[in-house]
Amino acid sequence: MLTKPLVYFAYLLKTSAYYQKSKRFFYDLLENPQSKMKSYFDIFMICLVMLSVFFLVYSVEHELSNTGEFFEQCVVTVFISEYLLRAWLYSDSHRIIIKEYERAEYLNTSFSPLKTLKKVLGKKLEYMLSLFAIIDLLAILPSYRPLRILRILLIFRLFKLFRYSNSIKVFADVLSSKRFELITLAIFMGFLVFISTIAIYLFENNSSGGSVRHLYDAFYWSIVTISTVGYGDITPITFGGRLVTVALILTGLGVLSFFTSIIVSAFNEKMYTLRENRTYAELSRLDNFIIICGFGRVGQEIATKFEKDQQAFIVIDINESHILLAKEKNYLYVQDDASKNTVLTNAGINTGASSIICATGNDVINVYITLTSRFLNPNINIIARSNRDDNVHKLYQAGANNVIQPFEISGLLAAEYVGQPVAFEAILGILQEQKQILMETLVVYPNCLLEYKIIGDIDFKSRKLTLVGVISSNKTHLKRRNRYKVNNQHFYFNPENHFELQAQDMVIVLGRKYSIEHFQDQIEKSKLRSK
Amino acid sequence: MKKIVVFGYNTLSYEAVSRLDQKSHDVLIIETDPALKKSAEDKGFKTQSLDFRSDDDLKSIGIGHSIDVIFCFLLEDSSNVFLTLSARAIAQDLDIIAIAGSAQSAEKLIAAGANKIIDPYQICGQKIHELIKKPDITNIIDHTVFGRDDLHIAEVIIPIGSYLENTYSSTLSLNEQFNLVLIGIVDKELGDNLHFAIGEKDHKLDAGDIIVVLGPSREINAFKKDVANV
Repeated sequence: MLTKPLVYFAYLLKTSAYYQKSKRFFYDLLENPQSKMKSYFDIFMICLVMLSVFFLVYSVEHELSNTGEFFEQCVVTVFISEYLLRAWLYSDSHRIIIKEYERAEYLNTSFSPLKTLKKVLGKKLEYMLSLFAIIDLLAILPSYRPLRILRILLIFRLFKLFRYSNSIKVFADVLSSKRFELITLAIFMGFLVFISTIAIYLFENNSSGGSVRHLYDAFYWSIVTISTVGYGDITPITFGGRLVTVALILTGLGVLSFFTSIIVSAFNEKMYTLRENRTYAELSRLDNFIIICGFGRVGQEIATKFEKDQQAFIVIDINESHILLAKEKNYLYVQDDASKNTVLTNAGINTGASSIICATGNDVINVYITLTSRFLNPNINIIARSNRDDNVHKLYQAGANNVIQPFEISGLLAAEYVGQPVAFEAILGILQEQKQILMETLVVYPNCLLEYKIIGDIDFKSRKLTLVGVISSNKTHLKRRNRYKVNNQHFYFNPENHFELQAQDMVIVLGRKYSIEHFQDQIEKSKLRSK
Repeated sequence: MKKIVVFGYNTLSYEAVSRLDQKSHDVLIIETDPALKKSAEDKGFKTQSLDFRSDDDLKSIGIGHSIDVIFCFLLEDSSNVFLTLSARAIAQDLDIIAIAGSAQSAEKLIAAGANKIIDPYQICGQKIHELIKKPDITNIIDHTVFGRDDLHIAEVIIPIGSYLENTYSSTLSLNEQFNLVLIGIVDKELGDNLHFAIGEKDHKLDAGDIIVVLGPSREINAFKKDVANV
């Protein structure tokens, strides 16, 4: 009887785009560590918690005004909605129902709605029993009037702060990695405290003239002494009591230093992962960054250029001395083997990286990284360095978009320098943008002033520009002369005066930075105006 | 005929030598490793084996009188510095081109007297940076000027008595007459600097000025011939 509406409802939710969309939205808002919204929400919640705690402290000595009460109501409303939303997000109930139903259909058994609902509620209960959910609940409950007595529990609101930052998780991780040592220490300390509690009680109880009234006092004294805090509110006076104190202080010193050293070494061991996590967290906030694999001379050169351009990048290298250099320069880096899938994935090859540069000095590694990257992301731009001529086609085969041969270019430049020193300076000058002169592309946007214009009508001269050519993949130009095939496009060198520009063509000009930027602005404006 | 000596046979020297016009350059490769020497000979290059540390050996191949250019393409930066230093001591007006493996060695090579330093790693880094920043233009330069396509940047010196003497750069209109793009001009009146042809200044052309053009080699040759017409 219950089956039909339940299953129908589950399928309805599954197919409803609106439901899925809103669930996705709240997931991004509350849980998705990658989403920007979550970080804003976390900051908002931290402020809210702080404010509400401020009101709590204020109300210790003052009467809250109406505004204060109203604010409190608002805060509680936000907390309750957050709690419920998290419970909702924790599991997909309709999925459980559908799964159970389909299983029953497949196995030809009867579908039990009660059992399924139990499962659904079980999942939700699982959420409610999680540590953070309990803290959330305790932060809300005291606001309910009949439970005013629990007002002190409002302090749990402060614990809520941990939810919005990563620190508690890190700390718990660090501690859990040293579980064995900590447990050993705890057991040892437990015995120690137990023995000293009993001993001090026996020596220093009231009837023996001491100030220890009962076992709780003895326990309190033990903890105060073993931790070397030593308030001095309870002091042993008998000979036996003092003996116990001396022994306890000495062992306490040992226990304390042991505890400190465990924590320190745990942090030390985790430091690397912690730092790496920070790197990844910083990366996840970036778009369009570049992965540089190999931080040798070539990698360093590229990094310096990118730094100047304010282009974001991350360096991956396994070599200690290379990484040290990256560290000194404050670059984002990962010390690991760049040919591993996980390393590249963590470095964001599928999340935000636009290009990957394989610049190690070893061609074998470059081929391997290229292959791995192409496999992980079919669309990423891969630029690889090849030190030997015979490896160039292997790199292209592995999926590189461009292959650079340092020795080939250098040889070519050397030959050029001997043969045509002036031309050599010209090439270098254009490539390195010396004297602010550069070669730049002007993109012909649809509906901008350049579209359907013929070259003869564009006055490059008065704009202080020199036309070099046009890059286009447009088929209408194919019959033109001076055609050079470059990748999937054609480069039309020195186009004739009646060459008609089409949308998406790229005009290559030589000129000063200002003239080019000025012309680009005009093109941009004309595009906007025509809209 | 320019006489060139290349020290060290490797990818870099092979690339440099094979790009040089074999007719107008006389190239000698110095290599002590027999296997490398053999492979250079197989490619048809003139080779010789000698000790670059000995001044007498250097003089024996003509450094100091007949050699115009040397390439110091040895693998060790220290060897290149040593070679540069020795060669400079023997010949004051020798053109010395050396490779440097690091920025520090580049400085040392300059101090030792090299005319041009080529740092393969720096150039490679620069190229990769350009590829990321301006992929279209870099691709085109790679395919045409650096690559095997027939599009080159060339320099043309205006000879004495050429019809171009006393004309102005604005009247050149090379793109219509020769299918060439004018990249720049070295106007000797203004020094040895290259002025890019971006319509900023009209240069009066004289004999000895250098015109840098971009275009197919056939057009470049036609232009060279035309310029030489008295």
